Amino acid sequence: MSDGPSRIAPGGETIKFTFDSVTYRARPGDTLAAALLANGVGLVARSFKYHRPRGIMAAGIEEPNALVTVGEGGRAEANTRATDLFVYEGMIAKSQNAWPSLSLDAGAVFGLAAPALAAGFYYKTFFGPAKRWMRYEWFIRRAAGLGNSPTLPDPDKFAQRAGFCDVLVVGGGPAGIKAALEAAESGAQVMLVEQDAVLGGSLHSDPDPAMDAAWVEASAARIRALGGRILLRTTASGYWDHNFLTLTQRLAEPGAVPVHGFAQALWHLRAGRVVLATGAIERPIPFTNNDRPGVMLSQAVRTYVRRYGVLPGRRVVIAANNDDAYRTAWALIEAGAQVLAILDSRSGSTAAAPAGVPVFYASRPAKVTGTAHRLKRVTALVGVREQSWDADLLAVSGGFVPVVHLHMQAGGKLDWNEAAQAFVPGAIDQDCVTIGAAAEPVAASPAPPVGHPKKSFVDFQNDVSLADIDLAWQEGYRSVEHLKRYTTLGMATDQGKTSNMVALSRLAERGHVSVPQAGLTTFRPPFTPVTMGLLAGAGARNAGAHERRIALYDAHAARAPIWQPLGYWFRPRAYPLGAENLGAETLAQAALREARAVRTCVGLTDVSTLGKFEVTGPDAVALLEFVCATSIAKLATGRGRYTFMLREDGMVFDDGTVWRLSENRYLLTSSSGGADRMASHLSFVRNYLRPDLRVSVVNVQEHHAGIALAGPRASALLSGLIGEVPPRHLSLARAVIVGVPVLLLAASYSGERAFEIYAEATQAQPVWRALAAAAEGAGGAPFGLEAMELLRIEKGHVVVGGEVDGRTTPRDLGLEKMLNKAGGFIGANGLQRPALSEAGRIELVGLEAISGEIAEGAMLIGAGGGAPQGHVTAAARRIIEGGSIALALLADGHARHGEELTASSPTRGISTRVRVVAPHFYDAAGERYRD
Amino acid sequence: MMLPESVIVTELTITALPPAPLHAVEIWSNPADFSKRCMAALGFAPPSMGQSVANDTLTLMRVEPSVWLAEGDCALLESVLLTDGALTAIGGGIVRVRIAGPGWRSLLMQGGFFNAEAAAFAPGACVATVIDHIAVRLFVESADSCLVYVPASYAAALIHFWEDVRPIAES
Repeated sequence: MSDGPSRIAPGGETIKFTFDSVTYRARPGDTLAAALLANGVGLVARSFKYHRPRGIMAAGIEEPNALVTVGEGGRAEANTRATDLFVYEGMIAKSQNAWPSLSLDAGAVFGLAAPALAAGFYYKTFFGPAKRWMRYEWFIRRAAGLGNSPTLPDPDKFAQRAGFCDVLVVGGGPAGIKAALEAAESGAQVMLVEQDAVLGGSLHSDPDPAMDAAWVEASAARIRALGGRILLRTTASGYWDHNFLTLTQRLAEPGAVPVHGFAQALWHLRAGRVVLATGAIERPIPFTNNDRPGVMLSQAVRTYVRRYGVLPGRRVVIAANNDDAYRTAWALIEAGAQVLAILDSRSGSTAAAPAGVPVFYASRPAKVTGTAHRLKRVTALVGVREQSWDADLLAVSGGFVPVVHLHMQAGGKLDWNEAAQAFVPGAIDQDCVTIGAAAEPVAASPAPPVGHPKKSFVDFQNDVSLADIDLAWQEGYRSVEHLKRYTTLGMATDQGKTSNMVALSRLAERGHVSVPQAGLTTFRPPFTPVTMGLLAGAGARNAGAHERRIALYDAHAARAPIWQPLGYWFRPRAYPLGAENLGAETLAQAALREARAVRTCVGLTDVSTLGKFEVTGPDAVALLEFVCATSIAKLATGRGRYTFMLREDGMVFDDGTVWRLSENRYLLTSSSGGADRMASHLSFVRNYLRPDLRVSVVNVQEHHAGIALAGPRASALLSGLIGEVPPRHLSLARAVIVGVPVLLLAASYSGERAFEIYAEATQAQPVWRALAAAAEGAGGAPFGLEAMELLRIEKGHVVVGGEVDGRTTPRDLGLEKMLNKAGGFIGANGLQRPALSEAGRIELVGLEAISGEIAEGAMLIGAGGGAPQGHVTAAARRIIEGGSIALALLADGHARHGEELTASSPTRGISTRVRVVAPHFYDAAGERYRD
Repeated sequence: MMLPESVIVTELTITALPPAPLHAVEIWSNPADFSKRCMAALGFAPPSMGQSVANDTLTLMRVEPSVWLAEGDCALLESVLLTDGALTAIGGGIVRVRIAGPGWRSLLMQGGFFNAEAAAFAPGACVATVIDHIAVRLFVESADSCLVYVPASYAAALIHFWEDVRPIAES
């Protein structure tokens, strides 16, 4: 039989998959790593920096070498551990970091340049003249990174959900199963999570007759029967405050097509108590070429033999500093392998080796040699002399590192366990306990490494060797945190799971201190890499926000408008007709036509998204006079007025209208875009600033759908529909349109006689249809946001987000005369600050183009050039007369009417001479509001 | 690849119900007196936080410290408010969605933060919470169904979300 890995007893390989385009077969339940070994594949990857050949080192999530890309197109997932990927039919896996092929990798030439690429080489490229860096940069950037991100969108979906339990057990090994079962039997609601696809953990590699497969199955069934939940392929990736944990649940294997479209689910879990049964990770041993294919962790070898029926090698040397590795010898012998030697770095052991297996004490591996695919020879320092074996597998065990990551993430301290030469969980403030191998690791003796430091690798993912650590030390990097960043040790996808303790030991050795004195880096979430899509959840599809649908959506959609996002809403921007749909000027043409309909006849538009709040109670007026900067108290029942609201610093932050519906009931409206902000503001005012008031504030934004009817024929048209004279400007009335009760508010944003007609949203469609039919019958038309913009600019009305930009006071906007003289409103004190009345403030003005078009956003520059003195907030064409006009914020603008400036927009390549005028281009006296 | 813990639920139904009269009832003073008047007029006192009470025509749910959600005929309730509170119609802006079937609790925890699986969240219980970034109110109608009061503008999006995640909800 040939050397190298193979299946112990072939048969049952029913799944086909490909690795680097070669088709292989696997058994159900095989990981990709197990399947590749079973097919005799030893070379799986190339290392990051030196492109050294790498094989499979571990059998779990700690694997640093065997990273592959799995899946295709947008579903491709790079840097997937072959040891944490269960093979499925049709799986397509590819190696990474190799060109043109894994066997013949041109990048291996970097190995020759290793002396120039030692620790910190990247930082050193910054030394010297900048032009030198310009030469390096391209090569460094080309070489950086592991794997390639897919360029197509991920077709899969990701779910997020809440979870709660009394006891969360992390880890489905024997300790975890027992803990979960015990908690469930005591009446607790239990959740048991296991990142593997099956429960059992170490029982798969170290069977226990008392806890056989039947026991595992029965225990799981009992936990479930008692109301517990068991999640497989689920990793506790983060442990936060107050026993809040994030769990990453795989619903499909990486690269596979999920049955229901969901690849993963993120659980937001709150647990009463957390039991960490996370086990321990075996430490590798540094020696020359310890990264070669064929050098594996001892427990991993046992796992492949007993769980997967795979023999990673036939002639095996075992090197260890603890008793656990002797079990590997037994497993290998049982499987028919030849164990050539056990190299025990200790002076002796009570552990029993299989008959015929020679044990060499005080022995440590010094180097291995072989091809890119196979191990050929193991050389060890036995006592003081070297001895070699022709072997195709070296199983190593440098002791065990408890998985304390979650404990530390939770704020727990770590204690040093001298016997195990490892950190173990210490005191913790959260209700959390660690059990099993994570709390009581196997004893192991420290053994100084032998071999060439430059080829003795510590961090396999980043190609960090003992020599790199030594160099960093020589260059003054004493702190472990500095060492980590200088050498990149412990970074990348494995976050140092196999390297941290080896590196710390070296650091301690160099500093002649103990390992605890050398320090420890901080473990932060996530424990294993988490897909970005999972963090975004369903929001990945819509930038985290759902589209809000207006009540009259169907009525608008039937007219095929151009839709415009407005906050989370979508509203019609214009309703193109006929030829307007064909040309490039669609929007402008349609908007101008619609605006002209309003100016000359009548138009209607949907204003349902306006913020709307009913303020009710004996103290309603007190609350409104606190929130609004205008006087409210004198408003008679049935009347309304324009109002605006200030921040505490005196800046205008929203505006709207306020209406007195009855003695103690008011309706306050505010801008659409600011409606959510206004809701929060009113809630804060009501519940925090003025909880003493006898008032109710209810957000009725969505209760009422709103339709604005505007134009010289609006009043007559409305009169025909309601059978009575509509209310006069800034008055309200209740009426019925096509059997639907409506509230009529006579207010105008367009500059024409206008009404806002509110109906309960569920009944608004017939009202819209009736109004639209009447308007169109009279020669009018529905109008969208673009026409509304033309109308309001011409009228000189400000808009939140445009002229109200968070920097303008009422005075700046020409609203000063409306301020409540009695004061007492939010922002009143802020307005008293002298700086808000000083010269040089930006003030609202109008602009008329002397020639050409004014560009929105243009800078305003004086005749002599110099710094910008203001900017154009909104630009439009006059609706009837034509000509370019704009609103602008200009330094000392109120006093500069008649002055000529240049409106310059370098980004649009437009520069226009403009004249500063009053911001009211249309009916400044407001005569058109009134009948 | 379907894993054992992901159970397909076929019985779960998501149904948007016809509009109903809904009001926000806010009390700002004399809660004890109001409670007595309620008892006399309606036959029940306003429920405590997270609970509901009902008679043949009205269900009163408390989901905020001083605000109740009222579904049904509020004429009697309005008559006993006097000057201690106010009633405001909000039904036009809310869509009631019934989630029914054995997996309703699991479905409501998708994209959520509330423990809909808690034993205390029993028939008659109610809560204000957030599901997939949308503020909703939940009311447990029975052991098999829950009413969700969804802002009308978000109803289509949220129903689509539920339809989407329904297959991965557990029964």
